Amino acid sequence: MAALIALYVCGLIALFAAIRTVVEPEPYRKLPYLNVMNFAIAGLIVLILAHPLSILAAAAYFVGSTLEANAIASTRAAVMEND
Amino acid sequence: MLADFIQIPIAAALCWILFVAVDIVFRLPEKGGVKGATAIGRKIEEDGGALAGGTMMGNIVSSPDASAGTLLAACGVYVAGLPGGLAAAVLVFIGNRICHDPGSAGTTGAVLASVMISGFVVLGFAPENFIAGMVIAILTIQGLSHPHASRLLARIWGWRH
Amino acid sequence: MIEFLQVVLAGIVILGAVATAWSRDPFNKLICLSVLVGGVFPFIVAGGYLDVAIAVALITPITTIFVLAITGRNSDGA
Repeated sequence: MAALIALYVCGLIALFAAIRTVVEPEPYRKLPYLNVMNFAIAGLIVLILAHPLSILAAAAYFVGSTLEANAIASTRAAVMEND
Repeated sequence: MLADFIQIPIAAALCWILFVAVDIVFRLPEKGGVKGATAIGRKIEEDGGALAGGTMMGNIVSSPDASAGTLLAACGVYVAGLPGGLAAAVLVFIGNRICHDPGSAGTTGAVLASVMISGFVVLGFAPENFIAGMVIAILTIQGLSHPHASRLLARIWGWRH
Repeated sequence: MIEFLQVVLAGIVILGAVATAWSRDPFNKLICLSVLVGGVFPFIVAGGYLDVAIAVALITPITTIFVLAITGRNSDGA
């Protein structure tokens, strides 16, 4: 397999970012670590299965998780303003 | 043809320079696009970072900008060559529109990155090393130390500003 | 999929599940849930079900936004 080293790098970074996301207690500091994990997973999707549709799957996953992080951060900011 | 262990750091450095340059040119550190980005920037400033760099990191979290464009362009070039990279640029533009963003930074980054990566593939680099390089590049910004990264970004923003 | 990735991704899924159960703050719960989904996603792709994967990628954030809207706290509309 040609892409083996890239796979190892992406997998290890995904695990590292997931551990840091889980360990960090404050939500605003969790979100950048979660973003790193999303990058690593989106890269892994294409490396696991090189098919034209997997670009679409990676883009859909990345945009979806970005939207999710955006909604969580904005909602928390709004809640903090109201309090 | 260089070995993979040498190619990945070179690819990481190139991707880092590309996406930071495009983000700074499109004035991402100036203000948060949404409330959440501003809040993340303020939180990083409280932790001892700089506000401009923190706002840029918040913007990277809350909408697909040049870093997402570079990653998806690398994925596209890996699967289908230069046309795949340009298709990824279209997908990034659609994703930007979904996230209430003008979409100029992400699309520009994706087009520039697909041209750059296609050029390096001609020179003998493997495109999957650019995927790994981009993941390493985003790790250095968002995943290691937020105060240090935001201070570095604020210093680069100072040269532009 | 190689064995190394199976171990790493299963680790991410278990980590996300335990952290979701463990955390008290509702926002932390949602963030840990998206760690879990991120670990599950490559398994769907490795099976070759790319259409299912695209559907899951689009449905998950919509679910999160609905959860935020149901609690009456999503004022940004994003």
